[in-house]
Amino acid sequence: MGAPLEIETRGLTKSFSGRLALDDVTLGVARGELCGVVGADGAGKTTLLRCVAGLYRPDRGEVVPGRRGRARVGVSPQGFHLYADLTVDENLTFFGAVHGLDRAALGERGQELLRFASLEEHRGRLAGDLSGGMQQKLTLVCSVLHRPPILLLDEPTTGVDPVSRREFWHLLDALHRDGTTILLASAYVDEVERCDHVLFLHEGRLLVDGTLDELVPEGATLEVVLRQRMSGAEPIASGGPA
Amino acid sequence: MSDRAGPESTRGDELWRATNPVPRVGRVEGSARRLGAITRKEFIQLLRDRRTLALMVGMPLVLLLIFGYGVRLSVSHISAELVQHDSPVARAALASQGHFDVASTVVPTVRAARQNLLDGRTSVAVVVGVTGQPQRVLIDGSDAFVAQNALEYLRSLSGSGAAPLTVDVLYNPTLRSADFMVPAEVGMIMLWVGTVATAIGVVREREQGTLEQLMMTPIRKWELMVGKILPYSVLTLLIAVVITGLGLALFDVPMRGSPVELFAFAIPYLVAALSIGLLVSTVAQNQRQAMQTATFILLPQVLLSGALFPLSAIPWAIRWVSQLLPLTYFTPITRELFLKGLGLSQLWPQVGVLCAMALVFTSLAALLFKTRLD
Repeated sequence: MGAPLEIETRGLTKSFSGRLALDDVTLGVARGELCGVVGADGAGKTTLLRCVAGLYRPDRGEVVPGRRGRARVGVSPQGFHLYADLTVDENLTFFGAVHGLDRAALGERGQELLRFASLEEHRGRLAGDLSGGMQQKLTLVCSVLHRPPILLLDEPTTGVDPVSRREFWHLLDALHRDGTTILLASAYVDEVERCDHVLFLHEGRLLVDGTLDELVPEGATLEVVLRQRMSGAEPIASGGPA
Repeated sequence: MSDRAGPESTRGDELWRATNPVPRVGRVEGSARRLGAITRKEFIQLLRDRRTLALMVGMPLVLLLIFGYGVRLSVSHISAELVQHDSPVARAALASQGHFDVASTVVPTVRAARQNLLDGRTSVAVVVGVTGQPQRVLIDGSDAFVAQNALEYLRSLSGSGAAPLTVDVLYNPTLRSADFMVPAEVGMIMLWVGTVATAIGVVREREQGTLEQLMMTPIRKWELMVGKILPYSVLTLLIAVVITGLGLALFDVPMRGSPVELFAFAIPYLVAALSIGLLVSTVAQNQRQAMQTATFILLPQVLLSGALFPLSAIPWAIRWVSQLLPLTYFTPITRELFLKGLGLSQLWPQVGVLCAMALVFTSLAALLFKTRLD
């Protein structure tokens, strides 16, 4: 028997103004898994993550953790959504406080995380003045301050330079190794190739759900497999900026 | 991909471990900390956002100066001329009140006087008969405000032949506009700052995507609402105190009532104004929309509340709108407290309505304030 599921959806359906964003999506992500969701723009990746986080109420179906389990979830949304006019330190203090962290623990954990993310020397800078890569790392640091068992990342490396992207993945690997369940949405096939578990969304429908070993035959690539499943739909990005 | 394991990743275990929770504070302390964190953050952002701060502080000062020095409800220096014949008596009567500037030359004909009125060279033409008595008055009605005032002054002149009356004007004996306007302005400014600052503060959060981040924290709806409006409450009250102080110092407006009571009466009014700001933020998607919506709501308040024009001048068909506006109740509070020295024993009906409005608007805002994105 495998690890219990941390993230689970059953028949998840969500539409906006009559347009179906998610169509009867059923999936499960086991505890400690690094799961990548790949799909073109508009495939439904962000909607899926927001439903899992409880930020959207599904039209139909069930979702875990959803709204009730939000305390167990850390979210890094697409783009930079911290306070640009606050410093790195002020952002950290703010998010630590709203997560209800003990003052001493926040100081200690904040310092450790900043050191680990190589942001320690930038703690006095305004977050809006940081490079794109630093901003993504800071977003990740703020979203794991409270040590959530589940982490949702929405295209975290889009627009980030190759060096920063590599550093970002080091942080993700550390989280993964330490047992955090990660659901990562990406438009880059090479990023989801790093994951234990791959989901492929196309026009709101889940077309692929499995491990790399299950999905990719000897001598083939994930990209080829996904293109075949898509059967004539628009191509997805092959490889990111790295 | 060969870059999965980097040099740092070997020491991740103690940093990230999800099963090793970070010590947290208790429920009540947690609530207080969250509230404190939001309030502190809002203050920092407010102080760093120089443009908004300048707008919030500068606008009330400009309004104070405009209403204090610039706006006069009584019209003076109305241009007037005598037609056909000169009349020292009429000239003296017109000049005696100080409202008219009478031209030194006499216009020879009524036709010429009409042309002057048409050209805007004069507002009033007094036709004088051969006996030196005014026979007829022509007034330029295209500016109704000036015309109404001129008419009133002329009527009082025409009755000057009757037995003299003793007239006592109470509470504002010299009928100074500043005494009338500055108290009302306190309410208008509180409404402006409270509504606009709150609406922009919340909408900016949504626009920048930080609301999404906040929604994923254990923060409760009321903590977010209170935390967002607390700094703006302080700012608004501070501005109201400064405006009141400047009004008293610069324009000699009397404060015959209790400042403490004024402060207390301002609280429910302020809560109502801030709740309107929150309500605006529930419908506006960006800061521009927030400004437009706030203006759409504030303008009728200023026009229909009795702050600028008397309520009795508002037609019955739309007077019911006035009854729904907080400024309609706060304006008499400030005016009567400043000028008549009234307190709670006389002003309780207005204070009561404001308390009810604060409750209704806050409940409505809490109901519509979303903690989801859809």
